[in-house]
Amino acid sequence: MDFEDTAAASAVRQQAEEASLAALVDQYAGALYRVAFSVLRNPADAEDAVQEAFMRVLRHSGQLGEVRDHRVWLIRIVWNIVLDRKRRAKTRPETDDVADLARVLPSTGLSAEQMASAAQHHAQVLACVEQLPAKEREVLMLSAFDELSSVEISTVLGITESSVRSRLFRARNLMAGMLNHARGKARELESSSRTAETAAAAEEETR
Amino acid sequence: MNLNSHNSPDMYDSGIDGASTGEDTLRLIAGLPAPKGLEERVRRALRTAPRQGRVLAWPQVLRAEAAWVRATAAAAIVMVVAGGGWGVYSHIQPWHAGNAPAARVGAMGGFSGANAVRSPQTLEPPVVSPPAKSAVQSPMHKKALKKKAKVQPEQPAAQP
Repeated sequence: MDFEDTAAASAVRQQAEEASLAALVDQYAGALYRVAFSVLRNPADAEDAVQEAFMRVLRHSGQLGEVRDHRVWLIRIVWNIVLDRKRRAKTRPETDDVADLARVLPSTGLSAEQMASAAQHHAQVLACVEQLPAKEREVLMLSAFDELSSVEISTVLGITESSVRSRLFRARNLMAGMLNHARGKARELESSSRTAETAAAAEEETR
Repeated sequence: MNLNSHNSPDMYDSGIDGASTGEDTLRLIAGLPAPKGLEERVRRALRTAPRQGRVLAWPQVLRAEAAWVRATAAAAIVMVVAGGGWGVYSHIQPWHAGNAPAARVGAMGGFSGANAVRSPQTLEPPVVSPPAKSAVQSPMHKKALKKKAKVQPEQPAAQP
């Protein structure tokens, strides 16, 4: 019967779509998680975002054959999801605390003091990143992924490649300026506290 | 072309190293490994998720085995709609062109008055009652009048 043939064909097609989707999950779930974590900086939220991205893919699984580059397409989906979530939640990322950063980021072969200073540096950097304008921040964050070229970043963000380059240039300059300013302030604070300590010690000696 | 300054510095690179721009931190975060079992958890979530985001879905029994039911249902819907339309059409009196007054079209064309006659609404005139006439005077009335004439003296003539 014709109807039975159609049903069998649709079942076969569905199985093929499920298989291709499972292959996409195996291949790109890790990369999508890293993209999501770089924005949300919370493991549970990042995993949720990855699941939501694949749910969207499942809903439009019929269009999978039309997609040229699955990796960039998936990254674009998860990128939009995490930006939307971050905009809606407005919550403080989990790794803003220095202690959390020290726990999350790799620090093999470092002493406790070095680990603490590295975590402080990372926290300072992330605070400066948050202060960047949105356009520059997005390009800077995506450029940190080794596997993404400028063309792919432009595809993810929906802008031209030259815009990616100019935004990255501005972002780097802004970051350098902000970090220098922050370091200068830290040095001033350190030197003033040292001066106060030496003055107190000298006063005690005179007594 | 990769944008990472540690791989291949491009012409737009500001000459600042990664550490001073904080890109080393971002690269560390971007390179963090995904948690174990992520793929399996995602696959499980996909298996339990509804297949299609439909508002209305056919029952599982009627999906493939009884596809003729869909055709029958569609035909029934068409019959109901067509029957309802015919019922409404047949109950409406047809409009005859002879009943309507002939449209008067002006010499220059345009809209006609459709034989309408203007009847201005005016105020009703005041109703005045006719004066009461006493045709026959009673004798008592006559006597009273005479008496009155006697009591009143004649007025003197006006002096020049």
